[in-house]
Amino acid sequence: MMRAAFATADVAVLGAGPAGLAAALAAAQTGAGVHLIDAQSSAGGQYWMQPAAALGGTRTPQTRAGAAAIAAVRAAGVSVHLDAEVWAVFPDLRIVAGTPEGSLEIAARAIVVATGAHDRVPAFPGWTLPGVITAGAAQRLAKLAGVRAGSRVVVAGSGPFLPVVTRALRGAGATIAAYVEAQRPHAGLLAHLARYPERWREAAGLARTVATAAERAHFGWIVTDALGSERVEAVRIAPLARDGSIERARAQTIASIDALVVGWGFRPSIDVTSLLGCAHSYDESAGGWRCDADAADGRTSVPHVFAAGEVTGVAGALPARLAGRLAGIAAAADAGRTAIPPAPERARLRRRLERARAFVAPLNARCAPPRAIDDLAAETTIVCRCESVTKGEVTAACAEGATSVLGAKLWTRAGMGRCQGRMCAWTIARIAAPGDPARAGYNRPRIPIRPVALSIVAAALETGVSHGP
Amino acid sequence: MTATITVDGEPVAAVAGIPLGAVLHARTLALRRTARDDRPRGLFCGMGVCFDCLVTVDGRPGVRACITAVRDGMTVTLG
Repeated sequence: MMRAAFATADVAVLGAGPAGLAAALAAAQTGAGVHLIDAQSSAGGQYWMQPAAALGGTRTPQTRAGAAAIAAVRAAGVSVHLDAEVWAVFPDLRIVAGTPEGSLEIAARAIVVATGAHDRVPAFPGWTLPGVITAGAAQRLAKLAGVRAGSRVVVAGSGPFLPVVTRALRGAGATIAAYVEAQRPHAGLLAHLARYPERWREAAGLARTVATAAERAHFGWIVTDALGSERVEAVRIAPLARDGSIERARAQTIASIDALVVGWGFRPSIDVTSLLGCAHSYDESAGGWRCDADAADGRTSVPHVFAAGEVTGVAGALPARLAGRLAGIAAAADAGRTAIPPAPERARLRRRLERARAFVAPLNARCAPPRAIDDLAAETTIVCRCESVTKGEVTAACAEGATSVLGAKLWTRAGMGRCQGRMCAWTIARIAAPGDPARAGYNRPRIPIRPVALSIVAAALETGVSHGP
Repeated sequence: MTATITVDGEPVAAVAGIPLGAVLHARTLALRRTARDDRPRGLFCGMGVCFDCLVTVDGRPGVRACITAVRDGMTVTLG
Protein backbone atom coordinates (compact mmCIF):
# COMPACT_ATOMS: atom_id res chain seq x y z
CA MET A 1 0.00 0.00 0.00
CA MET A 2 1.47 3.34 -1.07
CA ARG A 3 1.38 6.09 1.52
CA ALA A 4 1.29 9.82 0.88
CA ALA A 5 3.14 12.26 3.12
CA PHE A 6 2.59 16.01 3.17
CA ALA A 7 4.70 18.77 4.69
CA THR A 8 5.07 22.52 4.52
CA ALA A 9 8.47 24.19 4.37
CA ASP A 10 9.85 27.71 4.52
CA VAL A 11 12.56 26.55 2.16
CA ALA A 12 12.70 23.37 0.05
CA VAL A 13 16.09 22.48 -1.42
CA LEU A 14 16.22 20.15 -4.42
CA GLY A 15 19.49 18.25 -4.60
CA ALA A 16 21.79 17.24 -1.72
CA GLY A 17 25.19 17.86 -3.30
CA PRO A 18 27.62 20.56 -2.12
CA ALA A 19 25.33 23.43 -3.25
CA GLY A 20 22.13 21.94 -1.81
CA LEU A 21 23.74 20.99 1.50
CA ALA A 22 25.18 24.50 1.89
CA ALA A 23 21.83 26.09 1.02
CA ALA A 24 19.91 23.85 3.44
CA LEU A 25 22.33 24.55 6.30
CA ALA A 26 22.37 28.32 5.72
CA ALA A 27 18.58 28.46 5.58
CA ALA A 28 18.17 26.29 8.68
CA GLN A 29 20.60 28.50 10.61
CA THR A 30 18.16 31.41 10.17
CA GLY A 31 15.50 29.35 11.95
CA ALA A 32 13.68 28.43 8.73
CA GLY A 33 11.92 25.09 8.38
CA VAL A 34 13.92 23.35 5.65
CA HIS A 35 13.30 20.20 3.62
CA LEU A 36 16.12 18.75 1.52
CA ILE A 37 15.21 16.28 -1.24
CA ASP A 38 17.48 14.04 -3.31
CA ALA A 39 16.82 11.17 -5.71
CA GLN A 40 19.88 9.18 -4.63
CA SER A 41 19.92 6.86 -1.62
CA SER A 42 22.70 8.81 0.08
CA ALA A 43 23.35 12.54 0.31
CA GLY A 44 26.51 14.23 -0.99
CA GLY A 45 25.80 14.48 -4.71
CA GLN A 46 28.51 13.46 -7.14
CA TYR A 47 31.38 15.38 -5.55
CA TRP A 48 30.73 14.23 -1.99
CA MET A 49 29.28 10.80 -2.76
CA GLN A 50 29.40 8.54 0.26
CA PRO A 51 30.59 4.94 -0.11
CA ALA A 52 28.25 2.23 1.18
CA ALA A 53 28.77 1.73 4.91
CA ALA A 54 29.34 -1.97 4.34
CA LEU A 55 32.41 -1.29 2.17
CA GLY A 56 34.25 0.48 4.99
CA GLY A 57 37.89 1.51 4.86
CA THR A 58 37.59 3.86 1.89
CA ARG A 59 37.30 7.22 3.64
CA THR A 60 39.20 10.09 2.07
CA PRO A 61 39.42 13.77 3.09
CA GLN A 62 36.81 14.45 0.39
CA THR A 63 34.29 11.85 1.63
CA ARG A 64 34.91 12.95 5.22
CA ALA A 65 34.19 16.59 4.31
CA GLY A 66 30.97 15.43 2.67
CA ALA A 67 29.99 13.35 5.70
CA ALA A 68 30.59 16.40 7.93
CA ALA A 69 28.42 18.61 5.70
CA ILE A 70 25.62 16.01 5.78
CA ALA A 71 25.88 15.66 9.57
CA ALA A 72 25.77 19.46 9.99
CA VAL A 73 22.57 19.66 7.94
CA ARG A 74 20.90 16.97 10.03
CA ALA A 75 22.09 18.57 13.29
CA ALA A 76 20.59 21.89 12.15
CA GLY A 77 17.17 20.25 12.01
CA VAL A 78 16.76 19.95 8.24
CA SER A 79 14.31 17.24 7.15
CA VAL A 80 16.31 15.12 4.70
CA HIS A 81 14.41 13.02 2.15
CA LEU A 82 16.58 10.55 0.23
CA ASP A 83 15.47 8.13 -2.49
CA ALA A 84 12.91 10.83 -3.28
CA GLU A 85 12.67 11.51 -7.00
CA VAL A 86 10.88 14.74 -7.85
CA TRP A 87 8.44 14.23 -10.72
CA ALA A 88 6.46 17.46 -10.47
CA VAL A 89 7.00 21.02 -9.27
CA PHE A 90 4.01 23.31 -9.63
CA PRO A 91 4.10 27.12 -10.09
CA ASP A 92 2.74 27.58 -6.55
CA LEU A 93 5.91 25.84 -5.29
CA ARG A 94 4.37 22.48 -4.46
CA ILE A 95 6.87 19.70 -5.02
CA VAL A 96 5.81 16.07 -5.54
CA ALA A 97 8.28 13.20 -5.29
CA GLY A 98 8.09 9.42 -5.47
CA THR A 99 9.68 7.58 -2.56
CA PRO A 100 10.06 3.88 -1.69
CA GLU A 101 7.14 4.33 0.75
CA GLY A 102 4.89 6.15 -1.68
CA SER A 103 4.44 9.83 -2.38
CA LEU A 104 5.91 12.91 -0.73
CA GLU A 105 4.46 16.37 -1.26
CA ILE A 106 6.03 19.54 0.10
CA ALA A 107 4.45 22.99 -0.12
CA ALA A 108 7.31 25.50 0.07
CA ARG A 109 7.49 29.28 0.43
CA ALA A 110 10.83 29.37 -1.40
CA ILE A 111 12.78 26.80 -3.40
CA VAL A 112 16.50 26.42 -3.97
CA VAL A 113 17.20 24.30 -7.05
CA ALA A 114 20.57 22.59 -6.72
CA THR A 115 20.07 19.72 -9.13
CA GLY A 116 23.68 19.62 -10.32
CA ALA A 117 24.89 18.35 -13.66
CA HIS A 118 25.29 15.17 -15.65
CA ASP A 119 27.79 13.95 -18.24
CA ARG A 120 27.55 15.48 -21.67
CA VAL A 121 28.56 12.90 -24.24
CA PRO A 122 28.43 13.51 -27.99
CA ALA A 123 27.07 10.63 -30.06
CA PHE A 124 29.85 8.70 -31.82
CA PRO A 125 29.94 5.34 -33.60
CA GLY A 126 29.70 2.52 -31.07
CA TRP A 127 28.76 4.65 -28.06
CA THR A 128 25.72 2.47 -27.30
CA LEU A 129 27.83 -0.70 -26.88
CA PRO A 130 27.87 -2.21 -23.39
CA GLY A 131 31.18 -1.31 -21.77
CA VAL A 132 31.12 2.27 -23.06
CA ILE A 133 30.28 4.32 -19.99
CA THR A 134 30.48 7.94 -18.92
CA ALA A 135 33.23 9.30 -16.71
CA GLY A 136 30.60 10.06 -14.08
CA ALA A 137 29.41 6.45 -14.15
CA ALA A 138 32.95 5.08 -13.83
CA GLN A 139 33.56 7.38 -10.87
CA ARG A 140 30.36 6.23 -9.14
CA LEU A 141 31.13 2.54 -9.70
CA ALA A 142 34.59 2.99 -8.18
CA LYS A 143 33.62 5.28 -5.32
CA LEU A 144 30.25 3.82 -4.30
CA ALA A 145 30.98 0.16 -4.87
CA GLY A 146 34.72 -0.34 -5.39
CA VAL A 147 33.87 -1.77 -8.83
CA ARG A 148 36.10 -0.99 -11.82
CA ALA A 149 34.48 -0.05 -15.11
CA GLY A 150 36.58 -2.75 -16.77
CA SER A 151 39.83 -4.62 -16.31
CA ARG A 152 41.53 -2.92 -19.29
CA VAL A 153 40.15 0.54 -19.90
CA VAL A 154 40.59 3.46 -22.29
CA VAL A 155 39.84 6.89 -20.76
CA ALA A 156 38.95 9.51 -23.36
CA GLY A 157 37.48 12.97 -23.79
CA SER A 158 38.63 16.24 -22.31
CA GLY A 159 38.72 18.28 -19.16
CA PRO A 160 39.82 18.29 -15.53
CA PHE A 161 37.57 15.36 -14.57
CA LEU A 162 39.50 12.89 -16.78
CA PRO A 163 42.52 12.59 -14.43
CA VAL A 164 40.14 12.40 -11.46
CA VAL A 165 38.30 9.40 -12.89
CA THR A 166 41.60 7.85 -13.99
CA ARG A 167 42.76 7.93 -10.37
CA ALA A 168 39.50 6.32 -9.22
CA LEU A 169 39.78 3.61 -11.89
CA ARG A 170 43.35 2.80 -10.77
CA GLY A 171 42.15 2.68 -7.18
CA ALA A 172 39.49 0.13 -8.16
CA GLY A 173 42.12 -2.03 -9.88
CA ALA A 174 41.70 -1.19 -13.56
CA THR A 175 44.57 -1.13 -16.04
CA ILE A 176 44.55 2.11 -18.07
CA ALA A 177 45.39 0.95 -21.60
CA ALA A 178 45.33 4.51 -22.90
CA TYR A 179 44.50 8.07 -21.83
CA VAL A 180 43.21 10.14 -24.74
CA GLU A 181 42.78 13.89 -24.11
CA ALA A 182 41.66 16.11 -26.98
CA GLN A 183 43.52 19.18 -25.73
CA ARG A 184 47.26 19.63 -26.00
CA PRO A 185 49.15 20.95 -22.96
CA HIS A 186 48.98 24.71 -23.16
CA ALA A 187 51.23 27.38 -21.69
CA GLY A 188 48.22 29.62 -21.04
CA LEU A 189 46.75 26.97 -18.75
CA LEU A 190 49.94 26.87 -16.65
CA ALA A 191 50.03 30.68 -16.45
CA HIS A 192 46.44 30.65 -15.25
CA LEU A 193 47.17 27.97 -12.66
CA ALA A 194 50.20 29.94 -11.43
CA ARG A 195 47.84 32.60 -10.07
CA TYR A 196 46.09 30.10 -7.77
CA PRO A 197 48.71 28.53 -5.44
CA GLU A 198 45.97 26.86 -3.40
CA ARG A 199 45.28 24.63 -6.42
CA TRP A 200 48.90 23.60 -7.18
CA ARG A 201 49.04 20.48 -5.06
CA GLU A 202 45.77 19.14 -6.51
CA ALA A 203 46.85 19.87 -10.11
CA ALA A 204 50.29 18.30 -9.66
CA GLY A 205 48.76 15.16 -8.13
CA LEU A 206 46.35 14.76 -11.04
CA ALA A 207 49.10 15.27 -13.64
CA ARG A 208 51.22 12.63 -11.87
CA THR A 209 48.27 10.21 -11.91
CA VAL A 210 48.03 10.42 -15.70
CA ALA A 211 51.79 10.16 -16.20
CA THR A 212 52.15 7.05 -14.05
CA ALA A 213 48.80 5.29 -14.44
CA ALA A 214 48.31 5.08 -18.19
CA GLU A 215 50.23 2.67 -20.44
CA ARG A 216 50.10 5.36 -23.11
CA ALA A 217 48.81 8.92 -23.16
CA HIS A 218 47.76 10.88 -26.23
CA PHE A 219 47.20 14.64 -26.06
CA GLY A 220 45.48 16.25 -29.05
CA TRP A 221 43.82 12.95 -29.96
CA ILE A 222 40.19 11.86 -29.96
CA VAL A 223 38.35 8.53 -29.83
CA THR A 224 36.43 8.24 -33.10
CA ASP A 225 34.83 4.78 -32.74
CA ALA A 226 34.02 2.17 -30.14
CA LEU A 227 34.31 -1.22 -31.84
CA GLY A 228 32.69 -4.56 -30.98
CA SER A 229 29.53 -6.54 -31.64
CA GLU A 230 27.94 -7.36 -28.26
CA ARG A 231 30.27 -5.21 -26.12
CA VAL A 232 33.18 -2.82 -26.61
CA GLU A 233 36.34 -4.69 -27.60
CA ALA A 234 38.52 -1.97 -29.11
CA VAL A 235 38.58 1.74 -29.93
CA ARG A 236 39.82 3.78 -32.87
CA ILE A 237 41.70 6.97 -32.00
CA ALA A 238 42.89 9.71 -34.32
CA PRO A 239 44.88 12.93 -33.92
CA LEU A 240 43.29 16.34 -34.24
CA ALA A 241 44.90 18.58 -36.85
CA ARG A 242 45.81 22.18 -36.00
CA ASP A 243 42.67 23.33 -37.83
CA GLY A 244 40.58 21.14 -35.54
CA SER A 245 39.72 18.45 -38.09
CA ILE A 246 40.15 14.73 -37.44
CA GLU A 247 43.16 13.17 -39.21
CA ARG A 248 41.52 9.83 -39.88
CA ALA A 249 44.42 8.72 -42.11
CA ARG A 250 46.63 8.58 -38.99
CA ALA A 251 44.11 6.63 -36.90
CA GLN A 252 45.22 3.80 -34.63
CA THR A 253 43.33 0.94 -33.03
CA ILE A 254 43.65 0.06 -29.36
CA ALA A 255 42.50 -3.55 -29.01
CA SER A 256 41.76 -5.98 -26.18
CA ILE A 257 39.90 -3.59 -23.92
CA ASP A 258 36.65 -4.18 -22.04
CA ALA A 259 35.65 -0.61 -21.19
CA LEU A 260 35.77 2.85 -22.73
CA VAL A 261 35.26 5.63 -20.20
CA VAL A 262 34.25 8.79 -22.02
CA GLY A 263 34.10 12.22 -20.40
CA TRP A 264 33.60 15.55 -22.13
CA GLY A 265 32.61 17.49 -19.06
CA PHE A 266 29.13 18.04 -17.70
CA ARG A 267 25.79 19.67 -18.59
CA PRO A 268 23.68 21.54 -16.07
CA SER A 269 20.60 19.46 -15.08
CA ILE A 270 17.95 22.07 -15.85
CA ASP A 271 14.76 20.00 -15.87
CA VAL A 272 13.28 21.57 -12.71
CA THR A 273 14.28 25.15 -13.52
CA SER A 274 13.00 24.85 -17.10
CA LEU A 275 9.77 23.22 -15.88
CA LEU A 276 9.27 26.23 -13.57
CA GLY A 277 9.86 28.59 -16.50
CA CYS A 278 13.07 30.15 -15.19
CA ALA A 279 15.12 32.05 -17.77
CA HIS A 280 18.12 30.15 -19.14
CA SER A 281 21.06 31.13 -21.28
CA TYR A 282 23.57 29.19 -23.35
CA ASP A 283 27.24 29.05 -22.41
CA GLU A 284 29.22 26.35 -24.18
CA SER A 285 32.09 26.48 -21.69
CA ALA A 286 29.72 26.17 -18.69
CA GLY A 287 28.11 23.05 -20.16
CA GLY A 288 25.46 24.51 -22.49
CA TRP A 289 22.04 25.63 -21.26
CA ARG A 290 22.16 26.86 -17.68
CA CYS A 291 19.70 28.55 -15.38
CA ASP A 292 20.19 32.30 -15.06
CA ALA A 293 20.74 33.19 -11.42
CA ASP A 294 21.75 36.45 -9.76
CA ALA A 295 25.47 36.22 -8.97
CA ALA A 296 24.84 37.78 -5.56
CA ASP A 297 22.12 35.52 -4.17
CA GLY A 298 21.05 32.91 -6.73
CA ARG A 299 17.69 34.52 -7.47
CA THR A 300 16.19 33.25 -10.75
CA SER A 301 13.70 35.03 -13.00
CA VAL A 302 10.81 33.27 -11.20
CA PRO A 303 9.75 34.71 -7.82
CA HIS A 304 10.78 32.64 -4.77
CA VAL A 305 12.86 30.27 -6.92
CA PHE A 306 16.64 30.30 -6.40
CA ALA A 307 19.34 28.24 -8.08
CA ALA A 308 22.86 27.35 -6.98
CA GLY A 309 25.72 25.17 -8.10
CA GLU A 310 26.15 23.38 -11.42
CA VAL A 311 22.57 24.01 -12.57
CA THR A 312 23.65 27.65 -13.04
CA GLY A 313 26.73 26.62 -15.06
CA VAL A 314 29.33 23.95 -14.45
CA ALA A 315 32.02 25.38 -12.17
CA GLY A 316 32.90 22.74 -9.56
CA ALA A 317 32.30 22.15 -5.88
CA LEU A 318 33.81 25.24 -4.26
CA PRO A 319 31.70 27.81 -6.14
CA ALA A 320 28.72 25.50 -5.60
CA ARG A 321 29.13 25.56 -1.82
CA LEU A 322 29.52 29.35 -1.68
CA ALA A 323 26.61 29.99 -4.07
CA GLY A 324 24.51 27.45 -2.15
CA ARG A 325 25.11 29.28 1.12
CA LEU A 326 24.16 32.64 -0.41
CA ALA A 327 21.04 31.17 -2.05
CA GLY A 328 19.99 29.47 1.20
CA ILE A 329 20.24 32.76 3.08
CA ALA A 330 18.33 34.64 0.35
CA ALA A 331 15.61 31.99 0.17
CA ALA A 332 15.15 32.08 3.95
CA ALA A 333 14.85 35.87 3.81
CA ASP A 334 12.36 35.49 0.99
CA ALA A 335 10.32 33.13 3.16
CA GLY A 336 10.13 35.81 5.84
CA ARG A 337 13.07 34.90 8.08
CA THR A 338 14.81 37.96 9.50
CA ALA A 339 17.70 36.39 11.46
CA ILE A 340 20.00 36.23 8.45
CA PRO A 341 23.79 36.75 8.55
CA PRO A 342 24.84 40.43 8.53
CA ALA A 343 25.69 42.19 5.25
CA PRO A 344 29.51 42.13 5.74
CA GLU A 345 29.45 38.33 6.06
CA ARG A 346 27.38 37.99 2.91
CA ALA A 347 29.71 40.39 1.09
CA ARG A 348 32.70 38.26 2.14
CA LEU A 349 30.96 35.13 0.79
CA ARG A 350 30.35 36.92 -2.51
CA ARG A 351 34.01 37.92 -2.84
CA ARG A 352 35.10 34.31 -2.22
CA LEU A 353 32.56 33.15 -4.79
CA GLU A 354 33.88 35.63 -7.35
CA ARG A 355 37.44 34.38 -6.86
CA ALA A 356 36.37 30.73 -7.13
CA ARG A 357 34.46 31.45 -10.33
CA ALA A 358 37.39 33.42 -11.77
CA PHE A 359 39.55 30.33 -11.33
CA VAL A 360 37.12 28.04 -13.13
CA ALA A 361 35.92 30.12 -16.10
CA PRO A 362 39.23 30.19 -18.06
CA LEU A 363 39.78 26.52 -17.21
CA ASN A 364 36.36 25.65 -18.63
CA ALA A 365 37.04 27.71 -21.75
CA ARG A 366 40.35 25.91 -22.31
CA CYS A 367 38.72 22.50 -21.84
CA ALA A 368 35.71 23.08 -24.10
CA PRO A 369 35.21 20.13 -26.45
CA PRO A 370 36.84 20.60 -29.86
CA ARG A 371 34.69 21.33 -32.88
CA ALA A 372 35.56 17.83 -34.17
CA ILE A 373 33.02 16.21 -31.82
CA ASP A 374 30.36 17.38 -34.30
CA ASP A 375 32.00 15.21 -36.99
CA LEU A 376 32.10 11.97 -34.99
CA ALA A 377 28.63 10.53 -35.61
CA ALA A 378 27.96 8.79 -38.95
CA GLU A 379 24.51 8.88 -40.55
CA THR A 380 23.87 5.37 -39.16
CA THR A 381 25.00 6.28 -35.63
CA ILE A 382 22.24 6.26 -33.03
CA VAL A 383 21.95 9.70 -31.43
CA CYS A 384 18.81 9.17 -29.30
CA ARG A 385 19.62 6.17 -27.13
CA CYS A 386 16.08 5.79 -25.74
CA GLU A 387 14.27 5.57 -29.09
CA SER A 388 17.22 4.29 -31.20
CA VAL A 389 16.96 7.25 -33.61
CA THR A 390 19.94 7.69 -35.95
CA LYS A 391 21.75 10.85 -36.93
CA GLY A 392 20.51 10.25 -40.51
CA GLU A 393 16.88 10.37 -39.34
CA VAL A 394 17.50 13.64 -37.48
CA THR A 395 19.40 15.09 -40.45
CA ALA A 396 16.49 14.20 -42.73
CA ALA A 397 14.01 15.86 -40.36
CA CYS A 398 16.17 18.98 -40.30
CA ALA A 399 16.26 19.02 -44.12
CA GLU A 400 12.45 19.02 -44.01
CA GLY A 401 12.38 22.02 -41.72
CA ALA A 402 13.03 20.93 -38.13
CA THR A 403 15.53 23.48 -36.86
CA SER A 404 15.17 23.03 -33.11
CA VAL A 405 15.50 20.18 -30.62
CA LEU A 406 11.71 20.38 -30.23
CA GLY A 407 11.19 20.08 -33.99
CA ALA A 408 13.56 17.11 -34.22
CA LYS A 409 11.69 15.48 -31.34
CA LEU A 410 8.26 15.87 -32.96
CA TRP A 411 9.57 14.67 -36.35
CA THR A 412 11.68 11.69 -35.22
CA ARG A 413 10.89 10.89 -31.54
CA ALA A 414 14.54 11.74 -30.75
CA GLY A 415 14.48 13.11 -27.21
CA MET A 416 10.97 11.79 -26.53
CA GLY A 417 12.06 8.71 -24.58
CA ARG A 418 12.49 8.15 -20.90
CA CYS A 419 15.55 10.38 -20.60
CA GLN A 420 13.60 13.25 -22.21
CA GLY A 421 16.66 14.35 -24.15
CA ARG A 422 18.99 14.66 -21.18
CA MET A 423 21.52 12.50 -23.04
CA CYS A 424 20.89 13.38 -26.71
CA ALA A 425 19.62 16.98 -26.81
CA TRP A 426 23.18 18.30 -26.77
CA THR A 427 24.06 16.31 -29.91
CA ILE A 428 20.71 16.96 -31.60
CA ALA A 429 21.08 20.72 -31.12
CA ARG A 430 24.38 20.54 -32.97
CA ILE A 431 22.74 18.68 -35.88
CA ALA A 432 19.70 20.98 -35.99
CA ALA A 433 21.71 24.21 -35.78
CA PRO A 434 25.27 23.51 -36.95
CA GLY A 435 27.79 25.94 -35.52
CA ASP A 436 25.21 27.63 -33.31
CA PRO A 437 23.57 25.01 -31.06
CA ALA A 438 21.98 27.72 -28.87
CA ARG A 439 19.64 28.49 -31.77
CA ALA A 440 18.13 24.97 -31.49
CA GLY A 441 16.81 25.77 -28.00
CA TYR A 442 16.12 23.20 -25.29
CA ASN A 443 13.25 20.90 -24.41
CA ARG A 444 10.78 22.25 -21.85
CA PRO A 445 10.03 19.12 -19.83
CA ARG A 446 6.52 17.96 -19.11
CA ILE A 447 5.11 16.57 -15.87
CA PRO A 448 6.08 13.91 -14.89
CA ILE A 449 9.68 15.05 -15.42
CA ARG A 450 10.77 11.55 -14.39
CA PRO A 451 8.90 8.32 -15.10
CA VAL A 452 6.75 7.57 -12.06
CA ALA A 453 4.70 4.52 -11.08
CA LEU A 454 0.94 4.98 -11.39
CA SER A 455 0.54 3.77 -7.80
CA ILE A 456 2.64 6.74 -6.66
CA VAL A 457 0.58 9.18 -8.74
CA ALA A 458 -2.56 7.65 -7.23
CA ALA A 459 -1.18 8.05 -3.71
CA ALA A 460 -0.28 11.68 -4.47
CA LEU A 461 -3.75 12.40 -5.81
CA GLU A 462 -5.46 10.82 -2.81
CA THR A 463 -4.03 13.15 -0.18
CA GLY A 464 -1.19 15.10 -1.73
CA VAL A 465 -1.98 17.44 -4.56
CA SER A 466 -5.54 17.93 -3.24
CA HIS A 467 -3.96 20.16 -0.57
CA GLY A 468 -3.36 22.76 -3.25
CA PRO A 469 -5.47 25.86 -3.80
CA MET B 1 27.12 -6.70 5.16
CA THR B 2 26.99 -9.30 2.45
CA ALA B 3 23.80 -9.98 0.60
CA THR B 4 22.72 -12.68 -1.78
CA ILE B 5 20.65 -11.62 -4.75
CA THR B 6 19.26 -13.69 -7.61
CA VAL B 7 20.10 -12.62 -11.17
CA ASP B 8 18.20 -14.51 -13.89
CA GLY B 9 17.79 -17.42 -11.47
CA GLU B 10 21.43 -17.57 -10.36
CA PRO B 11 22.55 -16.62 -6.85
CA VAL B 12 25.06 -13.74 -6.78
CA ALA B 13 26.97 -12.54 -3.72
CA ALA B 14 27.00 -8.76 -3.27
CA VAL B 15 27.49 -6.03 -0.70
CA ALA B 16 24.26 -4.62 0.70
CA GLY B 17 23.78 -0.93 0.00
CA ILE B 18 25.96 -0.58 -3.09
CA PRO B 19 24.27 0.19 -6.43
CA LEU B 20 22.75 -2.88 -8.05
CA GLY B 21 24.13 -1.56 -11.35
CA ALA B 22 27.69 -1.99 -10.06
CA VAL B 23 27.04 -5.64 -9.22
CA LEU B 24 25.47 -6.30 -12.60
CA HIS B 25 28.18 -4.37 -14.52
CA ALA B 26 30.92 -6.40 -12.84
CA ARG B 27 29.11 -9.62 -13.79
CA THR B 28 27.88 -8.94 -17.32
CA LEU B 29 28.13 -5.75 -19.35
CA ALA B 30 24.89 -6.15 -21.33
CA LEU B 31 21.80 -5.65 -19.16
CA ARG B 32 19.02 -5.58 -21.76
CA ARG B 33 18.25 -5.37 -25.50
CA THR B 34 16.52 -2.49 -27.24
CA ALA B 35 12.98 -2.87 -28.58
CA ARG B 36 13.47 -1.02 -31.88
CA ASP B 37 16.70 -2.63 -33.14
CA ASP B 38 17.36 -5.54 -30.74
CA ARG B 39 20.82 -4.33 -29.69
CA PRO B 40 22.53 -4.86 -26.32
CA ARG B 41 22.73 -2.03 -23.79
CA GLY B 42 24.52 -1.74 -20.49
CA LEU B 43 25.14 0.75 -17.72
CA PHE B 44 25.94 4.14 -19.27
CA CYS B 45 25.38 7.29 -17.18
CA GLY B 46 25.42 5.51 -13.84
CA MET B 47 23.43 8.25 -12.11
CA GLY B 48 19.79 7.69 -13.03
CA VAL B 49 19.62 9.99 -16.04
CA CYS B 50 19.88 7.84 -19.21
CA PHE B 51 17.58 4.87 -18.37
CA ASP B 52 19.79 2.40 -20.27
CA CYS B 53 20.25 0.08 -17.27
CA LEU B 54 16.58 -0.88 -16.87
CA VAL B 55 16.01 -4.28 -15.25
CA THR B 56 13.15 -6.01 -13.43
CA VAL B 57 13.52 -6.09 -9.64
CA ASP B 58 11.18 -8.27 -7.53
CA GLY B 59 8.69 -8.31 -10.40
CA ARG B 60 8.74 -4.56 -10.98
CA PRO B 61 9.94 -3.72 -14.53
CA GLY B 62 11.75 -0.58 -15.63
CA VAL B 63 13.93 -0.20 -12.54
CA ARG B 64 17.20 1.73 -12.97
CA ALA B 65 19.88 -0.61 -11.65
CA CYS B 66 22.36 2.26 -11.24
CA ILE B 67 20.42 4.05 -8.50
CA THR B 68 18.89 0.97 -6.82
CA ALA B 69 20.66 -0.18 -3.66
CA VAL B 70 21.34 -3.91 -3.25
CA ARG B 71 19.12 -5.61 -0.65
CA ASP B 72 19.51 -9.17 0.56
CA GLY B 73 17.10 -11.49 -1.23
CA MET B 74 16.51 -9.20 -4.21
CA THR B 75 15.41 -10.99 -7.38
CA VAL B 76 16.65 -9.41 -10.62
CA THR B 77 15.69 -10.27 -14.19
CA LEU B 78 17.68 -8.74 -17.03
CA GLY B 79 15.73 -7.40 -20.00
